[in-house]
Amino acid sequence: MNQISRRQMLKVGVLGSGLSLSSFLRMNAHASEEDKGRSAILVFLGGGPSHQDTFDLKPDAPAEYRGQFSPIKTAAAGVEICEHMPRLARRAEKYAVIRGITHNLAAHGLGTRYLMTGNRPTPVVQYPMYGSVVSHEFPAAKDLPSFVSIDRPVEGPGYLGAEYGPLSTGEKPRYGQPFRVRGITLGDGLTIEKYESRRNLLSDIDKAFERFEDLDDPVRGLDRFSEQAYRIISSRRSRNAFDLTSETEREVERFGRHEFGQSMLLTTRLIEAGVRFVTVLLEGWDTHADNFNRLGRELLPRFDQSMSALLDRLQEKNRLDSTSILVTGEFGRTPKVNARVGRDHWARAMSSLLAGGDIRGGQVLGESDDKAQGPKSDGFTPDDLAASFFKNIGIDPKTEYQANVGRPITLIRDGAPIPGLF
Amino acid sequence: MRFVCAASVICVLASSLPGTEKTLRPANQRFADSQTSEVPDFQRHVVPLLGRLGCNGRACHGSFQGRGGFRLSLFGYDFKMDHAGLTAQSSSKQGPRINTKTPAKSLAILKPSLEVNHEGGNRFDLGSWEHHILERWIAAGARGTSAPRELKRLEIDPKEVVFASQLKSVKLRVVAHWEDGTSEDVTPLCRFRTNDDSVVTVDNNGHLESVGAGDSHVIAFYDNGVASVPVMRPFHTVKESIVESPNAADGNTIDKLVRAKLNKLGIVASPACTDAEFLRRVSIDVTGTLPTPDEVERFLADKTKDKRRRKIDELLERPAYAAWWTNKLCDFTGCNPRQQAELGQETSVQWYMWIYQRVKSNIAYDDLIEQIVLAKSRRSGQTYDDYASEVSAYFRLDSPSDFSQRQTMPHYWTRRTMEKPEDKALAFAHNFLGIRLQCAQCHKHPFAPWTQRDFQQFSALFENVKYGVVPAADKRYRELAKQVGLNVRGKNGSPIRKDVLRRAQDGRTIPWRELYIDRRKAAASISLLRSDVVQLAADEDPRVQIMQWMKQQDNPWFARAFVNRVWAGYFHIGIVEPPDDLNPANPPSNPALLDWLADGFVERDFDMKWLHRQIVSSETYQRTWKPNKTNRDDRRNFSRSIPRRVPAEVVYDGLKQAVAATDNLDKVRTDLTRRATGHLSMWLAGTYGMHVFGKPERALNCDCERINQPTLLQSIFMHNDPLVEQRLDESGWITEISHAEKAGDNLDRRQLVKTAWLRTVNRPPTTSEIDRANKHLAKVESLEEGIRDLLWVLINTKEFILNR
Repeated sequence: MNQISRRQMLKVGVLGSGLSLSSFLRMNAHASEEDKGRSAILVFLGGGPSHQDTFDLKPDAPAEYRGQFSPIKTAAAGVEICEHMPRLARRAEKYAVIRGITHNLAAHGLGTRYLMTGNRPTPVVQYPMYGSVVSHEFPAAKDLPSFVSIDRPVEGPGYLGAEYGPLSTGEKPRYGQPFRVRGITLGDGLTIEKYESRRNLLSDIDKAFERFEDLDDPVRGLDRFSEQAYRIISSRRSRNAFDLTSETEREVERFGRHEFGQSMLLTTRLIEAGVRFVTVLLEGWDTHADNFNRLGRELLPRFDQSMSALLDRLQEKNRLDSTSILVTGEFGRTPKVNARVGRDHWARAMSSLLAGGDIRGGQVLGESDDKAQGPKSDGFTPDDLAASFFKNIGIDPKTEYQANVGRPITLIRDGAPIPGLF
Repeated sequence: MRFVCAASVICVLASSLPGTEKTLRPANQRFADSQTSEVPDFQRHVVPLLGRLGCNGRACHGSFQGRGGFRLSLFGYDFKMDHAGLTAQSSSKQGPRINTKTPAKSLAILKPSLEVNHEGGNRFDLGSWEHHILERWIAAGARGTSAPRELKRLEIDPKEVVFASQLKSVKLRVVAHWEDGTSEDVTPLCRFRTNDDSVVTVDNNGHLESVGAGDSHVIAFYDNGVASVPVMRPFHTVKESIVESPNAADGNTIDKLVRAKLNKLGIVASPACTDAEFLRRVSIDVTGTLPTPDEVERFLADKTKDKRRRKIDELLERPAYAAWWTNKLCDFTGCNPRQQAELGQETSVQWYMWIYQRVKSNIAYDDLIEQIVLAKSRRSGQTYDDYASEVSAYFRLDSPSDFSQRQTMPHYWTRRTMEKPEDKALAFAHNFLGIRLQCAQCHKHPFAPWTQRDFQQFSALFENVKYGVVPAADKRYRELAKQVGLNVRGKNGSPIRKDVLRRAQDGRTIPWRELYIDRRKAAASISLLRSDVVQLAADEDPRVQIMQWMKQQDNPWFARAFVNRVWAGYFHIGIVEPPDDLNPANPPSNPALLDWLADGFVERDFDMKWLHRQIVSSETYQRTWKPNKTNRDDRRNFSRSIPRRVPAEVVYDGLKQAVAATDNLDKVRTDLTRRATGHLSMWLAGTYGMHVFGKPERALNCDCERINQPTLLQSIFMHNDPLVEQRLDESGWITEISHAEKAGDNLDRRQLVKTAWLRTVNRPPTTSEIDRANKHLAKVESLEEGIRDLLWVLINTKEFILNR
């Protein structure tokens, strides 16, 4: 794998060798075309899904704890999940349930930053989101974005710098409505030849920061983005990847007509095309009130349908073994149901799913106590979850990066891959 | 007015330290021996000790649901709750948490020392001073704190640490000075934090270790106090690197203060930027506008020595200055069409125009803010009918009244996001004081001095600022509503919708809700973030006193917050960064500079133009972006200009201007009614282009909402968005060229190429650039096509999209 560390880039930039950063990146991106490396998907259940109503049910807990849902058996012996996910129950061999993940940042912003980076947030270092690390390590083929966020980005590229941020689509695809990312399709009357000739002229003229391309973040970012924009816009493959109209109605129905279903369908298309990392959002889990109606009637059925379709489709396309999938929110929810039939923020226990790649499915790892209040023993941390996810993608969680704070930073400092997962 | 030092950073620098009182030795010495007769104090010793041991952290007993049945207040400072938590009946079979008869049998001692199993692990050993403090406190009756003692000041020693090559380690000493005149060395009871562990690390006992070159701060937390010490290690050997610039002697004060800091770090600042760079930079930063080709050429041809100074004066007189900084003031005050009480777009435009008129006439900043802070819907003595017809008249299609002539601007207070006193407190502290109170809403702020009590008091201040229907006017309100068909639900009236607005546009009077001062439950004595106390009568407008407090010469935040935000508008970061987090645990990179700017601003009666002029006239502002070997790694001390992406509005206007017809250029530059920085500011908010380039929604209390980072989507936009193509399609300048070409005119290619450069990157092209451009022009079928390509290329250069 070609790992471009910031340090390498600095060397190239500073020591000269006559290679500009953009040509260096071009070289690297070219090299990656041959590598059939891995890709990854993050399904972010924003708001903090209640662990005890999804993947960590406590049927024996007192009523005010266990809530209204019952567990059902799954295709995997000893694995039980919520009754509102029958499709996923049948596919339990395809994923591992991680229970007893614990942390202490029960605020959306901080919790999200923690879960999306595997590093406890601090005011001085901004850690990179998974997708930024992946697009840094495994840039996509030159005519595709490495990292796409459907709708909005979940977290930023942090110390890796703006150039490793996602291409966000700005909106979710909607059933029955044309979806296109503005600007990706060449405008009317603009031919690819014209675009290329303009681009050549631009490369020759855009030299105001020559010799200092590596110095400041915005300069470096613009170089990389301009190069990427060019490749993406001029590529048929990239346009096709975003084009949901080439899917059959049956396939569209399989994923579900709702925005999340269509987003998951787009996710698989992007992965199949060679995008390295996709984030997709299903929000609405912040159920301080009316928890059971919102989960039982809307969120869980949607998640069940689209997630199952995604797993099936990736397997059909022979992509599941090379695609690492993480499904998580930012924290769990309070063990006791509150007066508004809701549950509040609770970071001491939560659960997540890992699937694809080398993950051994059909098992539960970790355990929470009898009221789902906290892990039964030590539990796992978001750092462990992140280390597992990275390992499954093929990135050593102990990789060091030269951050903009002037010292090497270990990708995941405090965590280790969860034993038994692979 | 009494001024209590809550912001210790500011105060330590400003006040001299009395050294006469006798300071108590540190607790780890006094309690080393178990036989000491001293009784530890709950507030001064026990709670800080629990904090230092990590007991009240979020992961442990500070969690909102406690841990192991035992809960403490998160990060301490809720003495009642902490005492109740400690002394409550324990559900454990292993005995009581506190056993005053046999202190050694207290779980509060047995658990943290692991004599009894403790999930939180070993926090101290038996026989340690920590153990002795707890045991002595329990033995003496485990008394709580009914009225907290006031911490006057937390003093940290040394005042500054500069690590020279030999010096690698320093020990800090922290002394707490109480209101009653006593003082104690509290070093072992503090929590410490480094703001950059690539520069310096700090351990539990206040030992600093130098790690690398650069500058940062180490922060100490104790009780509700925060103290900081600047820590530096020079990038280069100081002796070698200090070279005074030739005209250092007559540099302005900003330059002197910046240089003083750079000298400590062994950094030599970069020299001045070119005239063309200066003109583009200062035009964008002061007026949000690119210079026109004529303007660039005139400026470059001007050989007088003071041309930069005169350009600055000229720019500050332009309406575009007022427009751009109004746009920024709308950021700072949170003008957001989606949060207005009603008629979001119209209300936001009124808000913008109201500020614009005042910035244009350079009204003093404190007066401007006062007219927002003290806003009421009705003038004193004005009847409801008169008020309703006044407001309706702003919307009349036929000769409307001018909203910006109103004495005050009530929309700030009437937003839907400002309903509760707590919302008002959060927004007010952020908008006008640069303080983030969010954390203190639920618990003691972990990294700032704010306690929940501070937040509750500050919120209570706004309790009687109300928006709705004044009971006395309710009858008239409903009559009017009936007349114009407004459906009123609830007692607080209803927002005006478009159909009802049409009645007002036709000249009728429609019923408006109003901002008014209600009666509070009782007279109150309220602390203003511990910096002052106000006495409020029940029917008093609380905002009058807070405004007086903000205008005080010695107010620690009001002027500083604005001065720092303006500075951040001219550089890539603020002197305090993030600029909206004034907080003793987030000290300024150059306190003397921030003080000087803030003091000068106040002394000159909050003259905004004075502030802008000072900053942009400095060498510091006018430096080149090119680094030298000493300042490559410096991003905190303004030793060179660091390129920034131009703001969303400037991209929008700049594109329009770059393609405009020659005789229309000046109009495009000056006609504010058509500019994104001008009257379109609010109409464009939330559109695709503004979103892509990070114009803030102004939905949160955070300056971070405006994004000035490049993204892939921006590059895709500039390469290929329909809007960019449309600009080129409709370009007046390209049309001119096309017409001339078709008419067979002999066009001067060299001149056209030069103009393309002047229109976009605002400098003449170099010879090799001209050659390359000509090569392209020779290749394409028409000059029109070639220039169109050239414009596309130039707006896609880094030089166009960056302000360097």
